Amino acid sequence: MHRSPTFHLDRRSFLTTAAASVTGVIASPWIARAQAKVIKIGMPTILSGRVAQLGSSSRNGLMMEVEKINAAGGLAGRQIEMIIRDSKGQPQEAARIARELINGDGCEILLDAEASSGAFAVHEVARDLGFLCIHTNSETSSLSADPKLRLANAFRLCRQGIHDSIVGGSYAASIANAKGLMKWATTSPDYAYGRDTTQQFVTYLKHFKPDIEIVSDAWPKLFAPDYTEVITKIQQAKPQAMYSCLWGGDLTSYIDQGNIYALFSQLQFFAVNMADYTALTKVKNLPKGIYSGNRYIKTFPATPQNAAWGDEYRSKYGEYPTNWSWQNAAVMHFLAAAATKANSTEGAKLADALRGLTIESPFGANGTMTIRAEDHTLIDYAIGWGTTIPTEPYVPDVKTGDWKQIAELESEWKKQSGYA
Amino acid sequence: MDIDPLIGCLLSTACIVTHATSGLIIGLLLFLVAVGLTLIFGVLKIVNFAHGAFYMLGAYFALTIVQFTDSYLLAILGAAAGTAAVGLVFERLFISQVYGRNVLMQLLVCYAFVLIFDDLVRIIWGSEFRSMGMPELFQGPPFFVAGGVVPQFYLFLIVVTLAIAAALGLALARSWLGKTVRAAAINPGMVSALGINTELLYGLVFALGGLLAGLAGALAAPVRSLTPGMGFSVLIESFIVTVIGGMGSILGALVGAILIGLIRSFGSLGFPLFTDGLMYLFMIVILVVKPTGLFGKPVT
Amino acid sequence: MSKRSHRFDIVVGLAAFAAMAVAPAVTSNQALFDLVIRGSALALFATSLNLLIGYAGMVSFGHGMFFGLGAYGFGLIMQRTSMPIPLALLASLALAAAVAIVVGAICVRLKDIYFAFVTLAFQMLLYSLITSWVSFTGGDQGLRGGIPRPVFFGIDLAKYTHLYLFSSALLIIGLLAMRHIAESPFGYSLRVIRDNAVRASFLGINVWRMKLAVFVIAGTFAALGGAVMSLFVSGAYPEFANWPMSGEAVFMIMLGGLGVFLGPLVGTVLLLLLNDVITRFTEYYGLALGLVILLFTLGLRKGLLDFAVDLVRRRATAHGALPTEVAHE
Repeated sequence: MHRSPTFHLDRRSFLTTAAASVTGVIASPWIARAQAKVIKIGMPTILSGRVAQLGSSSRNGLMMEVEKINAAGGLAGRQIEMIIRDSKGQPQEAARIARELINGDGCEILLDAEASSGAFAVHEVARDLGFLCIHTNSETSSLSADPKLRLANAFRLCRQGIHDSIVGGSYAASIANAKGLMKWATTSPDYAYGRDTTQQFVTYLKHFKPDIEIVSDAWPKLFAPDYTEVITKIQQAKPQAMYSCLWGGDLTSYIDQGNIYALFSQLQFFAVNMADYTALTKVKNLPKGIYSGNRYIKTFPATPQNAAWGDEYRSKYGEYPTNWSWQNAAVMHFLAAAATKANSTEGAKLADALRGLTIESPFGANGTMTIRAEDHTLIDYAIGWGTTIPTEPYVPDVKTGDWKQIAELESEWKKQSGYA
Repeated sequence: MDIDPLIGCLLSTACIVTHATSGLIIGLLLFLVAVGLTLIFGVLKIVNFAHGAFYMLGAYFALTIVQFTDSYLLAILGAAAGTAAVGLVFERLFISQVYGRNVLMQLLVCYAFVLIFDDLVRIIWGSEFRSMGMPELFQGPPFFVAGGVVPQFYLFLIVVTLAIAAALGLALARSWLGKTVRAAAINPGMVSALGINTELLYGLVFALGGLLAGLAGALAAPVRSLTPGMGFSVLIESFIVTVIGGMGSILGALVGAILIGLIRSFGSLGFPLFTDGLMYLFMIVILVVKPTGLFGKPVT
Repeated sequence: MSKRSHRFDIVVGLAAFAAMAVAPAVTSNQALFDLVIRGSALALFATSLNLLIGYAGMVSFGHGMFFGLGAYGFGLIMQRTSMPIPLALLASLALAAAVAIVVGAICVRLKDIYFAFVTLAFQMLLYSLITSWVSFTGGDQGLRGGIPRPVFFGIDLAKYTHLYLFSSALLIIGLLAMRHIAESPFGYSLRVIRDNAVRASFLGINVWRMKLAVFVIAGTFAALGGAVMSLFVSGAYPEFANWPMSGEAVFMIMLGGLGVFLGPLVGTVLLLLLNDVITRFTEYYGLALGLVILLFTLGLRKGLLDFAVDLVRRRATAHGALPTEVAHE
């Protein structure tokens, strides 16, 4: 069956649109440079697919602060204009968008809110093009620890796997001592974050309590729907405790499936990513007594500033903040402080100002956070572990991590990994 | 590679039983999801690349119905009806235009449907993942059957799956509708010449395939996290199962699914990081040795 | 293929390259050059797949495996050895060809949907290998640390304009080579096989060997595209070998048209423009792309160039200039 098409209009309008967009693409730099009163900041992130919440909550946390900064005069007198694009979670798209934001849209700074693999891709673009690049979400430690990746113009201002593992290992060891938990298992997603974080946790657990034994490990694929075989494998080995860095939807469906196997009545569960409001509020039958690290919790640090920020976010967006929300908000705080200190928005000057900068922050372990000068990474943020309950405040008691201990062990780890 | 744990397990009856049970559970869940795909290919010769999207729709329909009525039973029935309706409309408006054409056209039309519906779901239900929770009925402790662990909810799913397999098999073999459908698959011209409305028939078959996929989504929803795009993971596995079992064969899909379940269960012991690769290797072997699959008709 | 049309192709190719080479002097819009570099990589990939689909009638769902092999092969050679770039390119092409011979020998005798599925299975197997062999390939993070670009013959690929010119040159050379193959007696035999394999074998054509040959050729050119892409992102990612990559190539062919040699090139440019434009204006890229695909498959019912060529042909026959031809679907 053959229709004879009368699509002249469609074809013409389609070609016109194509021509117009190409012209737009060619003309944009000239338009961009005409607006010096405004500073364009680009943000590649993930707004679709499985991890869409990463991008949407990053954007929310960021924009809440951008509006305040603009109302107070902007960065060194220049109003911030954010251009946020979706890489769909593909690293080559992230690289392309990063290039386009700088070359095509006239952005001067990039806040890279990509997940780990996208962050590495954007990092290479930063190496090529030399703009100020702040990674706001990537938790893979090697991004800042590996000297081969170090750039004068790149920073990582968010939490790191190694810090979480040190604190987690120390906390888990103390619980293991108190409850006699000698046989451990791990169930973590089979990708770089999952493997590295789990390995680091086990290393530090053994460091603080050398006589524990790992009796089984399971590595489901990221976003795997069915955990039957991994649950069975772990149950077979009869561990007394289990660590997992599963997160988000994976963690909740794992808990749902573990529940019907009565898994959590047989072992103590240490899930570093449990204390995240989305996970806590989505699981309908949360087992009592899951141990978790902190992602974002309104009551930790237990300061009025932190609670106020959490409430403000909730009333503005109708949902709880995530780990990604506070990290991006903190980046804007640092940027604003650096612009004031350098009295400029020029990339190199801002980078100098950021190096070693300490600011007051509701997310700091003791009211402040610092950018470590030697490797351009964030330290002194609130970090700790506690036990979760299914209702507010969700994590009533948090044992805070000791930053002195973290710094010592981290530098040992760097030497052992050949990074120092 | 952890060959030692694998061999150690194969030498222990208790371990074999436990892992075989879990393999069976995985397989039957897989079959439930894949059977709609093989049915559509067997009758309509269409590779339904939008299969995963129907699964997703079924899960989301069920979620919403439970939110409003608190009844899991209503949710299952509603989701099945909903996805059947979507399937019928999709077939009449879009699939009917690509019958007999290049398989790439079918791929593209189905894929366009997937893209559109993933975003529609995102617009309607949001991009955050959702969780349905286990119905009270199944919240008790699991059963221990001869050393294997079977959660109550999975027992329910197994029974439903086997019932569906039996019903489909019998209906296709014995009922008038089933025979007509099979005849139409072989010689549509003749069936139409006998005065039977083949277009309506095709629509019904596709609706049934959509229904089965949506039903699978609704049945699995209590133990899954729902996100837009959740159809992709089941799509690939459904293809592997139907290719191995034989496109168009319900028994083949059952056998293929159980084989995959066993590979995953025992494979996670011996090859924890390469279980996927094992499945693809198996798929390649089948395709090379008998392309039409274990129970498919031989290539003419 | 006549010497005259062969020379015509070369002239067109040189003119196109000249136009692309002049562009940096006329405009400094980096986004345009990014488009050309990515477009070169993807157009080589899509055109190579069309040798299989459009010319030989072999629908492969797994062609992305060669794109990925090209990217990883080239990237790994450059990171781990000190081979000069031209040699590394040839080595990565040779690697892809070797894999294609082995995979093709197993696959090409299968027909239709089974060929499609087994190529998909091989691609997914390669993808599993890439993501699980972390020590060699970097796993799901891909090759990190960037790809070294030592200068060769005075060409410094760390300089952006050089990379742009190099990619354009590879695109033109690759297209000319594939064009030559497609219009040769070998290409003609492929079309005979596509239309009627049984008749082809009665005519004395060794169908299996021809299919294997085109499979290897297509895989090699796809790898060339992959190498260009790895230069662009200065690395390689498992996504390059994942099945959505194969799906993208299919879109590009269908958007541009599989009946005309330059169809995939047009489709590549279209898809890239769509991608870049749509992501600027909306978050709902999937919805927009899905609607575009429906427009092309159910509305236009053929790729853009196919549509254009048919329109020209119909106007010509309407005016009695050409005898009516049987439309090929």
